[in-house]
Parts: sequence; C-alpha cells; structure tokens
Amino acid sequence: MRTDTPAARRPAMLLVRHWQTILVAGYALAVFSWTMPVGVFPPKQILDPVTMPVMRAFGLWQSWEMFAPDPRREDIRVEVRFVNRAGDGHVFMLTAMESMGYGERVQRERWRKFFNDHLRLDDERRLWQPFAEFMVRALRQEGQDPASIELVRWWRAADPQLGPDTRPDVRRTPWNSHVFHRWTVPPEFGR
Amino acid sequence: MRSIGRMLLQTAAAFDRWVRDPVDPRPLGWFRCWLGALTLVNIILLWPDMPMWLADDGVLPPELHQPPLPGPSLTVYAFSGAFRGAYSADTAAILLIRGLGVVGGLGMCLGVLPRCAAACVWLAITSYSWRNPLILHSGDALLRIATFFLIFARTDAVLSLPRWLRRRRSLAAGASEPPAPVPAWPQRILQLQLCILYLATGIWKSSGPAWQDGSAVGIVLQMGEFQRFPIPDILLTPVASRVLTWATLAFELGFPLLVWPRALRLPVLAVGLAFHAGLEWMLNVQLFQWTITAFYLLFLQPASGCPAVAPPEHQRPGDVGADRSVAAAGSAAAKPAPVRASSSTAA
Repeated sequence: MRTDTPAARRPAMLLVRHWQTILVAGYALAVFSWTMPVGVFPPKQILDPVTMPVMRAFGLWQSWEMFAPDPRREDIRVEVRFVNRAGDGHVFMLTAMESMGYGERVQRERWRKFFNDHLRLDDERRLWQPFAEFMVRALRQEGQDPASIELVRWWRAADPQLGPDTRPDVRRTPWNSHVFHRWTVPPEFGR
Repeated sequence: MRSIGRMLLQTAAAFDRWVRDPVDPRPLGWFRCWLGALTLVNIILLWPDMPMWLADDGVLPPELHQPPLPGPSLTVYAFSGAFRGAYSADTAAILLIRGLGVVGGLGMCLGVLPRCAAACVWLAITSYSWRNPLILHSGDALLRIATFFLIFARTDAVLSLPRWLRRRRSLAAGASEPPAPVPAWPQRILQLQLCILYLATGIWKSSGPAWQDGSAVGIVLQMGEFQRFPIPDILLTPVASRVLTWATLAFELGFPLLVWPRALRLPVLAVGLAFHAGLEWMLNVQLFQWTITAFYLLFLQPASGCPAVAPPEHQRPGDVGADRSVAAAGSAAAKPAPVRASSSTAA
C-alpha cells in the first residue's frame, strides 16, 4: 500500500525545485573541504572521502597551495651530462630558465615543473632510469651516440637577506651539485 | 532562538534567490570567449612536448603512471585503444588531446556549439592531467574546472559567430533579438570557486613561517627558475619582501569577502588585476595569472542592454516562488524571463 502523502512528498519536491541551490552550496562546501588544511576544517576527514569519487570522475580535484605553507628555500637546476662512444663529452642544463629567451621559458615552464619539482628528488627515483633512457633515444635522433649519461642536480639557498646582488647566477654565486643518476648505456640498447 | 531561526531562513532564501534568479548572459559569454583563447594558447604551448610527457616511450612510461587520484576517470585513454589499427594507443591519445583542444578552443572562442566545445576542452585537459600529473600547474586545474561548468552554461548570447550571423539576417529582415537572461548557477559556482581558491591559498600561506615573517616573496624572487622580466633592485630587499608578502596575504584573504559589496567590487578587481599583472611580470608561471583573472569577468555588471533581468533589491522575498524559479532555472534559457522595470543586472 502506498503511503505517500503531500507532506511526505514535500522534501522531495523541495529538492527538485531547489536543485541548483543545493548543487551550488554542495559544491562550495566540497571544494572548501577539499582545499583546506585539516586543522582549519576538521570535517574534511569525513567529507573528502565522500566527495572524492565525484571530484575524480569529473576532473574537479584541486589544491591551491602555491608557494605554501612556505616556498621552497632552494633554487634548483637539473643538468644532463653524457659522453659519446667517440669520447666527446657534453653538458646541458634542462632548467636554466633565466638563460632562455622569454618565449622559450614560458613554453618550458612544464619542464621546470617536472625536472625541478619531481625528477631531481630522491623520493622520485623511479623516474630516473626511464628519463635516462628517454634522453638516450632523443640524443640518438639528434645524431649523438651516448655511451654513458649522468643526471645532476644543482642547488643553492635562496636567501632574501642577501640583497639584489646575489640573484641566482650559476657563475657568480656558490652552487652545490650532485650526480643523482648515472647509467652506462649498453650498446644494444634500443637497437 | 526564533530570531536566529528567522535570520537563517532569510539568509537561505537570499542565497536561493542569488543562485536561481537568471542573470545577464554577457559575463558568461565574455568568460567563455576569453577562456577559449587561453585554452588554445595552453594547448599550443604543450603541443611540441606532448610526446615527451604523454607517450609510452616518453619520460613517464605506463608502468610508472600514477593517476592524480585512484579510481576511474573519464579521459581519452578510455577509448584511444580503438584506433589501434592506425595508431598506437598513446599516439592516438595525443592526437585526440590535440584535436579536442584545438577544436574545442576555437569553438569556445567563436561561440560555435559552446557547450560541446567546452566539453572537448575539458576532456583534453582532464586526459593529459590524468596521464602525467607531474607536469601540471594551478592554471591547468582552473581551466579544467572552468570548462567543466561551461558545459552546463548558456554562453552564446555574446561574442558568438552563429549569433552574429543570425543577427545580421534578422536585422536585414527588420527584426532584432535581445539577449535573454540565462540560468545563474554555473556563474555562481565559478564565482564561489574563485573565492574559495583565494581563501584556501591565503589560509595555507598564513600558516607558513616565511609568510608570517615577511620573507616569502623575497625567497621566491631570489629563485632564478621563476625569473621572467627584470625586477627593480628595490624590490629585492628585505623591506620590500615584507611589504609584498603581507600585501599578498591581505589580498588573498580579503578578496573573498570584499568582492561582493557592489561599491567595492571594481576597486577589488582592479587591485587583483594589478596584483596578478605584477606576478606575471616577476614570475614565470605559465598562464596562471591570465586564467585566474579571466574569472574576474564573471563579477562584472554590464551597465545596460539586458532589460529582462532585475537587480536583487527590486525583488521581494515572495518573488522566489517555485514556479518562477523553475522557469528561470530550466527554461529561462529557452524562453525570455518576465520583463521588469530595470536596465541594470543582477551579477
């Protein structure tokens, strides 16, 4: 037996009539929870798992922690060194952004993101060998024939107390470097 | 207690009106057009490096792939394998991302099937974001979110090639077609999205010691990897760093509150434009400043030209009737809303 009465139907009708308001309020709450630190918004621990399937499925995931909670305190470069089978060595910086032209440095912003923020990290060592193999394939297309390849990270402290004269410049300020990956390329690789 | 309850009800009713009352279509149209141009630039900048970032023999082979969030997502990789006869799945995916990005971006720019165009761009951005999250910046997230909600927005009232052609024909026939108000909820969601973005980044920053002691901007400006155009030496001093750091915090935490009063809106948007123009000059962060300021278009209130939309202060609480709002939400797009005696808009 149906028990629907006008009073029982009212909440459903309200939902239908006010779906836009509910959607906007619900989305705002979900995004607020998604983007806030848990210390600021404790219900995040309950809300985020509930909203995650929707955020993921529709590509709405987000975080807005640009230079936060603190900016990185080191200026970074990533360099590739390789020696050809003929014995000639070559070195080039992947992310020396300040030495690029203005157009090039805009286009290569994602290089900075990938190499400086991810590849150079010990926590991301899974990326090192695939990148070395990619570099060897790319260099061969340019007519090189690498026998060994090294990935090097450079870093220096970015200290605002130092003043204008010390803006990062590999030639003028002390930099540290470390070879974080080294690979001897087997002659049969990729052939 | 009763007065608190009444106040809550009034607030809820005001929010309901704000979301459901139809709005002037022009801000959404401007936003769609400008965002289309930005998505085109974005796909062109990404174009030459796509094989490196996205192909199976690029820097992130499939066995290392970790999606941004675990679980299924709608991307071109779900069906790029269907082209296996002609292309490998990863090549097909790159071709699809390029094609969807260009066709969608042009469609958004020109207002040609703008909802489909937004869907194309959204799918392209979601796909490369899913395949290689290690190359993403905040501009990608903004473009992805904005194009998703533009799929549901009526944005073809202005800056639309088909509409311009229709108008030319109807003007020649002696008739004209004024822009009809459109459902507000996509615009409201995007406005709130921007406010939450500023609030979130402001709160995250305010917990950092470098933002508290005023050294954060100085640190960032010392980094060569972010350098764009030359900066005057005076900005590279500890005093300037403190001023810029705290001004950044004040702006990001203040924007979500101060942008709503009409009297403050234009000044706040002007300060925001100056703020992001400064960042664009000083920092090499691809397209983010352009994308975030595109959202400012959604806060503009056109001075005239859409007579069917009334400002909120002309609406009585009783106006929020279910019948009228249903018409406003679902079918205001299809038929003109009731004409009211005002020429300003409810942005």
